[in-house]
Amino acid sequence: MITNTRGTAQQGKGAARRIDQMRKGTTTLAVLKLLADSGEPMHGYQIIQELESRSQGHFRFKEGLIYPRLHQMEKEGLLKSHWEGEPGTRRRKVYTITDKGRRQLEAEMRQWETFSQGMSALLGFEQAGP
Amino acid sequence: MTIDEVLAHIRAGLNLEAETEHELLEEIRTHLEEAVEEAHNRGLDEEAALTQAAVRFGVAEAAQELQATHIGWGTLEGVAAAALPVLFALVLRWTVFAPDGTATGWQELLSRPTLWAVAAIALLAPLLRFPRRRYALISWAVFWGLSVLIITSHAVSW
Repeated sequence: MITNTRGTAQQGKGAARRIDQMRKGTTTLAVLKLLADSGEPMHGYQIIQELESRSQGHFRFKEGLIYPRLHQMEKEGLLKSHWEGEPGTRRRKVYTITDKGRRQLEAEMRQWETFSQGMSALLGFEQAGP
Repeated sequence: MTIDEVLAHIRAGLNLEAETEHELLEEIRTHLEEAVEEAHNRGLDEEAALTQAAVRFGVAEAAQELQATHIGWGTLEGVAAAALPVLFALVLRWTVFAPDGTATGWQELLSRPTLWAVAAIALLAPLLRFPRRRYALISWAVFWGLSVLIITSHAVSW
């Protein structure tokens, strides 16, 4: 019984780790897509809210982890940022997608499509075509 | 608990340049203010709203990731910026000073346009290229100070 409980807990941790790894691997794509669709600068909190909303709650993680990702993407030239708001008021650092970011988005979307089609076929999820 | 206290916890997990830390914390402050305001609008009291915002933010995890993301930049940029004056020192050595390795006269050095061109480029390049310009400026100042000292002291080989 104890072994089963421990086994279940370990399976749960393993599943959580796998989901976390999948999330990390897809955050860049999700953020790029969001900013490309939006067409307007967005701040970190707004990005988190939108990701969660558009993914129907599946894209939920520690909110603070979005900032290292955004900063890394900015360093890679995929995003650019600037501060909005006057001194003395609430200032927000907002992010927009760059041309390099758009190219990366297109490339990653193609890769994702190929990968997901392959996995769907492998797992038997693929629906019959017309 | 206040937002300042949450920020202090995050700051305790960071060991970055003051300017970088300030910008990070300002961005996080805005985030927490937004989150608290939203939770407050949902009916939570101030304390509960901030607690929820801090938990959802993931103070320790975020600080750790931010540190890991930003720590490498400063080091690499610092080394790159400090390398520039060394490079220009070599250029100066080849283009300005006499081939036999002795320092030329101070007056003669000032009249050489190459010196001014190299000096201006060396001074401006780090300012344009690197956010961590203070490394470059300090290196440049040390290099330039030493150069002037050596140049002005007569009969000293460089």
